[in-house]
Amino acid sequence: MPKLLRLNDDANGTGNGAAAGAAAQLEPAGQWTPESGKGLKLSVDQEIEERFLAAPLIGIEFPTFSDGRGLSLAFLLRSRHGYQGDLVATGAVQADILHYMRRCGFTAALLPGGEAPDAQTLAPHSDYYQACATEPEPGRFRIGGGPSNIPT
Amino acid sequence: MYRYDTFDQQFVDERVAHFRSQTKRYLAGELSDDEFLQLRLRNGLYIQRLAPMLRVAVPYGTLSSRQLRMLAHIARHYDRGYGHLSTRQNMQFNWPELAEVPDILADLATVQMHAIQTSGNCIRNVTTDEFAGVAADEAVDPRPYCELIRQWSTSHPEFDWLPRKFKIAMSGADDDRAAVNVHDIGLLARRRGGETVFDVLAGGGLGRTPVIGSLIREALPVRHLLTYLEAIMRVYNRYGRRDNKYKARIKILVRAMTAEGFKARVDEEWSHLKGSPSTLTEDQVAGMEAHFAPPAYVERPGAAAALAADRLKDADFARWVRQNVSPHKQAGYAIATLSTKETGSPPGDVSDRQMEAVADWADAYGCGEIRISHQQNFVLPDIGQDQLYTLWQAARAERLAAPNRGLATDIICCPGGDYCSLANAKSIPVAEAIQAELEDYDYLHDLGELDINISGCMNACGHHHVGHIGILGVDKKGREHYQIAIGGHAGNDASVGQIIGPSFFRDDVPRVVRRILDVYLAERVENESFLHCVRRIGVEPFKVEVYAKAA
Repeated sequence: MPKLLRLNDDANGTGNGAAAGAAAQLEPAGQWTPESGKGLKLSVDQEIEERFLAAPLIGIEFPTFSDGRGLSLAFLLRSRHGYQGDLVATGAVQADILHYMRRCGFTAALLPGGEAPDAQTLAPHSDYYQACATEPEPGRFRIGGGPSNIPT
Repeated sequence: MYRYDTFDQQFVDERVAHFRSQTKRYLAGELSDDEFLQLRLRNGLYIQRLAPMLRVAVPYGTLSSRQLRMLAHIARHYDRGYGHLSTRQNMQFNWPELAEVPDILADLATVQMHAIQTSGNCIRNVTTDEFAGVAADEAVDPRPYCELIRQWSTSHPEFDWLPRKFKIAMSGADDDRAAVNVHDIGLLARRRGGETVFDVLAGGGLGRTPVIGSLIREALPVRHLLTYLEAIMRVYNRYGRRDNKYKARIKILVRAMTAEGFKARVDEEWSHLKGSPSTLTEDQVAGMEAHFAPPAYVERPGAAAALAADRLKDADFARWVRQNVSPHKQAGYAIATLSTKETGSPPGDVSDRQMEAVADWADAYGCGEIRISHQQNFVLPDIGQDQLYTLWQAARAERLAAPNRGLATDIICCPGGDYCSLANAKSIPVAEAIQAELEDYDYLHDLGELDINISGCMNACGHHHVGHIGILGVDKKGREHYQIAIGGHAGNDASVGQIIGPSFFRDDVPRVVRRILDVYLAERVENESFLHCVRRIGVEPFKVEVYAKAA
């Protein structure tokens, strides 16, 4: 049974069974309508349509774990189109990609099975250099931000 | 040079801990081979023919003496006493133990180094002119902008899982020493009205399909550098092919869209990003530039005269100066190239002892800084002209004083079939045989500027497409063959070499190279370089000579 893992800070830990069930029953873009009340499933090569933004939940299906298109799609939905609903990574979700997914705006991931990842795998770094969907200001303006404080 | 602050240090320390846990999970069977493959590649770790290979990042080819001593320590302690300078200005170790790699990374982190993104389908080490910051012909010192790109591209949330590897090079000098035309993105930095701007080339590359990059934006102001790169990367990440690894580089996408179509797509994407918070402020740019302020040069009265006297006194030294010493911005100083291409040494291989020696010379005769060139040599960027003779004597004792920078024996060569599991053929013995064939200095010097580049397979790590003479190892029915092309060039007026005809057995390669050079010597008009001669007379005369006699 796939496990829904929350990635956003305000909802740590694994989600409830109902959310996992909803995430597992998404409708592909061709069939989905805003009236269906169901979640929308997008393939990673999908072009974004305005109507998608009404979906309560969007799942992006990763064909392989090393396919980065889903990261760009999530970033665009969040940052460019202002999508506010749940954004769930589905398909070939691999634990070591979750920290990238979170920074691209995913709020959850449907793990194919097994144990929940450890804290280090979920968040290997305490901070990053660049801006991302969840931190539009790049690395607290630290890039090039002045002289070193570490002697060599 | 750039010094880490607490943020940078914390980042690499966390990366070490993270990689240690990934290695542990793999060894415990919690990560599959395929999962670990992708993860370790993003940290520079290949599993090669004989052992793992770890590629350590040397950002834009710049090292401190302290960092080089650490690389010597790693070579000694974890490897077999040597490392290999790569054509991306990095250092590779061929014999580390998988389980010890996290310890190597921890040692590297103590001197502000890492192996992040030195392999895998992500943004690789940004390369630049090995003379950056000191070259007499430089308009813009590219290093601050390379460091900005390094930071921006490190564990980027969106661009670490690209269709294929991604290489960016930057040059800021009249003479392009960074091969910007054959990179996924090439950046030519220049000054325009007191402002640093970049001409942006996209879609160049070597590999199976060599392509010269297309100019997609002129005079991009430095403040927009990162947002414009973001636009290119997003278009590539979304639309680059993922169904065939040989068609996945950005050059194939640019060709499919046409350069104009690609540019339009990037411009549309950039219209959403221009002016966004990733736009660089003047303070950020100035802050980064301050990291690369020149070292404390001193007046060296009489240095030029001392050098002139030393040259008169010793003809061997004069020969080395003529070939391996380049003009410096600062009066009294010079740039010295320490060639790793002495006949009999695999190109780019350096021992721990040589690394220690180079670090010592950088401290004793320079300002403590070392560069690695994409031609796989060491460069000492700040040597007092009056110190060159002492340096040369010391370098000669360590077999790092071959007077062949830019000459036919300064061969660019990948590790090839001796080490690399991708290779179809060996490359190091071919380099050695050619060096032995052409060793006579007067002959070499008469040939003049001549780049011979050798790759052991289509991946073109040895840049064979842009060698004046390019040699590619191919496998034909289980036997090593070598295809030879001429007329390639990596500099300002870059070109891709043309194959002269059917391939040769390994033993025949030195003789074929000699025949090609015979044609050049017979056909050249006064002071004409090999490259210009090929461009003028075409491939045919070479072909006729080589194949007529071979028959």
